[in-house]
Amino acid sequence: MLEKIKEIVCNYVEYNPDDITAETRFIEDMGLNSYDFMCMLGDLEAELDVTVEEAEIINIRTVGEAIAYFESLKD
Amino acid sequence: MKELNINGAVMKCYPLCPAQKLHNYTLYFCPAQVLCIGTGLYVQQDIDFNLLREAIRQSYERFETMRLRFTKDENGEVYQYISPFEEREVRFCDFSDWKEEEAHKEMEKWTSVPFERLNKPMNEVVMVKLPDGFGGIYLKVDHMTMDSSSIVGFTKMVLEIYCSLRYGTEMPKPMYSYIKQLEKDLAYEENSKAKQRDEQFWKEEMECENEPMYTDFAGQGRLLTQRRENNNPNQRWATVISQSPVASISVYSLEKDPSKRLMDFCEEYHVPMASLLLMGMRTVLSKFNDNEEDVTIKTCIARRGTLSEKYSGGTRIHFFPMRTIMKPEMTFLDGLKMIQAEQSRIFRHANYDPIEYTRKRAEYRKFKAGASYECMSLTYQPLTISGDRKEMPDVPYKSFWYTNGVAGQPLYLTVMHRPEDNGLNFNFEYRTDAVSAQEMEYFYYYLCRVIFRGIEDTNRTIGEILEMI
Repeated sequence: MLEKIKEIVCNYVEYNPDDITAETRFIEDMGLNSYDFMCMLGDLEAELDVTVEEAEIINIRTVGEAIAYFESLKD
Repeated sequence: MKELNINGAVMKCYPLCPAQKLHNYTLYFCPAQVLCIGTGLYVQQDIDFNLLREAIRQSYERFETMRLRFTKDENGEVYQYISPFEEREVRFCDFSDWKEEEAHKEMEKWTSVPFERLNKPMNEVVMVKLPDGFGGIYLKVDHMTMDSSSIVGFTKMVLEIYCSLRYGTEMPKPMYSYIKQLEKDLAYEENSKAKQRDEQFWKEEMECENEPMYTDFAGQGRLLTQRRENNNPNQRWATVISQSPVASISVYSLEKDPSKRLMDFCEEYHVPMASLLLMGMRTVLSKFNDNEEDVTIKTCIARRGTLSEKYSGGTRIHFFPMRTIMKPEMTFLDGLKMIQAEQSRIFRHANYDPIEYTRKRAEYRKFKAGASYECMSLTYQPLTISGDRKEMPDVPYKSFWYTNGVAGQPLYLTVMHRPEDNGLNFNFEYRTDAVSAQEMEYFYYYLCRVIFRGIEDTNRTIGEILEMI
């Protein structure tokens, strides 16, 4: 999942994928804005063929939280 | 895509994307000058105008949508194509012995002259010399080819190439392909799964049981008058288009320190600046409309997420209504978080064709043409024309957005950062038949009052703020 997120997020910002860890924050560290962030989650949603809850995803801040959320949807 | 013969050459031509259709639609009720955007970027430096001319020439070549043109097929349908690069004359205007204000007025006049719409360039760059040693470029583009992000991108490119030619700094990176991005957008339009999902979202939004309420920056007069005219005391929408779309612009500058307080607040509470501005605007509209709880504003979505969207030029702006229903007991912070969540929801469905949404909403609500629940729109532009200024950090800059003299809707508010100190400028472009400069000043005054009362105590309720101001 981490690799998938790295691949997708690097379509949005110029950021070294090797520097992305579970603790990396999408907005503060990688510089995504709120539009980028929602679109990026939309790409992940399509890629993993799951449906996210809009009210829940706005609380995601870090890569680790995104991994945990999307893993929970796959279960 | 279809191939059309244009002046003896066969060109690959593409349909308009929804963002372009949105601008094209404006031409049905406004003169063509409504699509002209004029900007200027000037630096206080002894400019080498021969090098600047070469930088502009190279930028034309690199920036595909500066070569975007329109044509019509045999059925009269508008198509677009990228014309091959050709040398273009770049005018030079020396205003150095003019009063600066007069020079800007002259450039405002240029901005009000529309482009010929078919098979002609849709932009013009002029090299300009101003008083006090300032010089730079005036850029006029047609909104169907570029939006403000593209304008910032092009201007920055000219500056970077100029610096590279003059000082040997790095040349800008190549752009992403506009046509490839357009093809993605057109593929979405072909009844894709994503479009179906977005269509369903907007259908549910539109068909909500309780109809939105029109609120106006000039109070309830417009709605009450139209209720009487239509003999419908329950009417909740108002016609906002005008036979006289003459517009003016008022710019108010929020000083550096208070602007920084707003930015610091957004950072501390993890809210976008656009959400804070929308919260302020909806609360002022509420105040001006008898403390109405149901307020809708048009929000501008730049739709530039991926790198290819950010760096392929073109026009990508979509406008959608952003509805807020807030009780007076709600705290400012809760209201702000509600707007942030609502914006995020809209972002996920913002690729949908805004004209299609508007048309379906009018049908569903049995509107008159040009009717709406929204009197104004907000655009928050975090980028400045001068970019990050890393090429000439110590050189004083001036940047300008010139009015084209007309406007489709009563009021557009564009908030952007000043390049010189990162403070916020509030640009109110308003139709003069709908509002006066004094009323705009009034609106700005209340907007600042609401926002600062809200951020100094986030637990303050909306009702308390409405009473305080």
